Amino acid sequence: MQRKFALPALTVAAVTGSLFVAVSPASAHGYISSPPSRQANCASGAVAGCGDIVYEPQSVEAPQGSMQCNGGGSRFTVLNDSAKSWPATTVGTSVTFNWVITARHATATWEYFIGNTKVASFNDNGAQPGATKSHTVSFAGYSGRQTVLARWNVKDTINAFYSCVDLNFGGTTTNPTPTPTTTSSPTPSPTVTSSPTVSPTASPTATPTPTSTSTSGTTTWAAGTSYKVGDRVTYNGVTYSCRQAHTALSGWEPPYVAALWAAV
Amino acid sequence: MGAPVRRGPVGGGLAGKGGPVRRAALAFLLLTLLVTGCAADPAHNETDVMFLQMGLAQIAEGDQVAVVAEQSAVNPGVRTLAAELRGQWQSESATMRGWLTDWDQPETAAKATGLHAGHGDLHALQPGDIDGLRAAKGSDFDRIAVALLLGNLHNTMETLRMATAGSAYPKVKSLAETMTATRQGQIQRLLALAAG
Repeated sequence: MQRKFALPALTVAAVTGSLFVAVSPASAHGYISSPPSRQANCASGAVAGCGDIVYEPQSVEAPQGSMQCNGGGSRFTVLNDSAKSWPATTVGTSVTFNWVITARHATATWEYFIGNTKVASFNDNGAQPGATKSHTVSFAGYSGRQTVLARWNVKDTINAFYSCVDLNFGGTTTNPTPTPTTTSSPTPSPTVTSSPTVSPTASPTATPTPTSTSTSGTTTWAAGTSYKVGDRVTYNGVTYSCRQAHTALSGWEPPYVAALWAAV
Repeated sequence: MGAPVRRGPVGGGLAGKGGPVRRAALAFLLLTLLVTGCAADPAHNETDVMFLQMGLAQIAEGDQVAVVAEQSAVNPGVRTLAAELRGQWQSESATMRGWLTDWDQPETAAKATGLHAGHGDLHALQPGDIDGLRAAKGSDFDRIAVALLLGNLHNTMETLRMATAGSAYPKVKSLAETMTATRQGQIQRLLALAAG
């Protein structure tokens, strides 16, 4: 008994200046990685000025029932900012959402909304998700730019995880040149797989330093190309200058991503 | 220092539960202090030890995924990234183990303390994950590999941020800062691969 009391006291004394920061990252479980959700676009660097969400896109947790991209409350409110230049992924009618899961909570339902309309719901009846989770949702009747709100409702807590995904259905009216990876086939293929046609230009350097390949002059914008700051491209006859080094993805066309491209 | 820490990044549980293992650990700690005096070296704290133990466990899990991804991913970008991670993990974990050895701390917090119990498990690689990955083909394989690596790195980032905020040992803090920057760059590339 004596020891039981004496030792912890000693421990405290020994750990001089130990400020045990009980960061409790229990609120970190998952988000949609593709098509990229708003928090994914923040974490990937596609959208700048997001704040702390860049380090924890999986942490958008809030009580169930909210219709806001941050789940309500005061945290991560940047996700609700529809004035921000969120890239929209060009998709067909059928969209497969892929989740990254960092904790496998028993799940009640997965829900997908556009506006106040629940487009799809998947009931897991309390099952634990696997290492990954994918849902294919049909968005027949929707066109143009839309924001999908996805909610992962946890079974054994009052909370849900929120992800908003900006999509552009059926290509855009202002974009006559079809983007390389768009599957604009009207037939709803079961999986609109984001086929890995984006050539992997992942350079072995870990730092996000510009790893550009090309461009001494102006080229036509193309998905899969690595651009560095100052690179110039043309898109639909307009010339843009690269503001942030990145590897271009379908959906990051210069007119839609002000964080990456500035018209010159 | 000698406290059994939870492996899962979940708060609580550190203060209570004076089980035999904990008491043994504390007794060991006391002995260590008496012998070494803990004088010369800058002080480290529980967060340092917890970060090193959790970080090593997370690296071990990540490596299970990366070794398969390095061999079998269709997209060379995934293979490159997996190989790069494995190389960095190797040198990082050697450094991390070195400090734990210097401090006479175990590489893993004892499982008997309920480390893997409860919520912590939810954050861990699960039995069957690697089998599921191996069984997948083509773009499915890449999608699962990228998702598993992202999940691992996101959990790692939480541990790293805990360390940068709470570390008392300058070299540990410095390593955690470097790893934070490196992992964030890799997360960005993985997200680009996921979106591609």
